[in-house]
Amino acid sequence: MNIISGIDITAGALSAQRMRLDIVAQNIANAETTRTETGGPYQRQVVSFETELVKQAGGQSLQTVKVSGIAADKTPGQQVYNPQHPDAGPDGMVQMPNVNLAYEMVDLITASRAYEANLSVAKNAKNLAMKTLEIGK
Amino acid sequence: MIDPIFQSDNYQLSRKLLDAAALRQEAIASNIANAETPGYRRLDLAPTFAEQLKSRMAAGESVAGDDSLRPTLSEDLNARSVRPDGNSVEIEHELLAMNKNSVEYNYLTEVVSNNIKQLKLAITGQGGA
Repeated sequence: MNIISGIDITAGALSAQRMRLDIVAQNIANAETTRTETGGPYQRQVVSFETELVKQAGGQSLQTVKVSGIAADKTPGQQVYNPQHPDAGPDGMVQMPNVNLAYEMVDLITASRAYEANLSVAKNAKNLAMKTLEIGK
Repeated sequence: MIDPIFQSDNYQLSRKLLDAAALRQEAIASNIANAETPGYRRLDLAPTFAEQLKSRMAAGESVAGDDSLRPTLSEDLNARSVRPDGNSVEIEHELLAMNKNSVEYNYLTEVVSNNIKQLKLAITGQGGA
C-alpha cells in the first residue's frame, strides 16, 4: 500500500484529463484553419480514454484512466461562400474545419470539472498521509 | 504495562478502522478517476467487514491481532445507475463520501495518537513533550 492512498490512480486520471484540455485548446485555436500540412481544412481531434489496471487492493482490481488515442473527427465541415478567400474553390466555396465551438466548450467544462474533482481527491489523500505522519506527536 | 496499552481494544479497533479508511480512500480515488468510464460500477468497502466487526464486538470477542478480519472492497450493489452508459458513479456522492472518510480518518489517527501519548505519559510522567 502506498503511503498516499490511491495517488497513482488519481495521477493517471489527472494526466488524461489534462490531455483532453490540451486537445480542446488545439481544436478551438484551429476553428478557422482552412489549410493544414496535409492539405484541406483542419479536422477536429477527439481524445479517447481507456482503463488501465493499477493494482489489486482488498480483493478488487483498481483501475485508472489513460489516453488510448487521439483521432480525427471525420464529419465534413461547413462550406462557406467566400470567393475572396485564398482557399476558395472555383465555385467560391471554402471548406471550413468541422470544429463546433459549442461542443468544444462543453468538452472544456467537462474536462476541467473532472480535473478539479481528481485534484481534490489528491489533496485529500495528501492530508490523510500528513495526519498519519502526525500519529504520536 | 506497555502490552495492555497496545493490546487495548480501542487501539486495535482503531488500527483496523484506519486500514479500512485508507482502503476506502483508494476506492473513492478509483471511482472519481472512472467517473466517465462506460459500465464502471462504483467500488466501496464490502459490507461484510462492518458486519463481522459488529457481531464480534457484540459477542465480546477480542478483534485484536485477528488477521482473518480485514477490510475488502466490493462493487457497491446499492448504487443505481441512472446513466445510459451503465456507470454508477455520482461525483457529488463520491466527494461527500471522501470528506466523510477524511473526518473519520482524522478522528482515528487522533485516537491512536492519544493511546501513544498515554504510554509516553506513563514513561516520562509528563504529557505532551
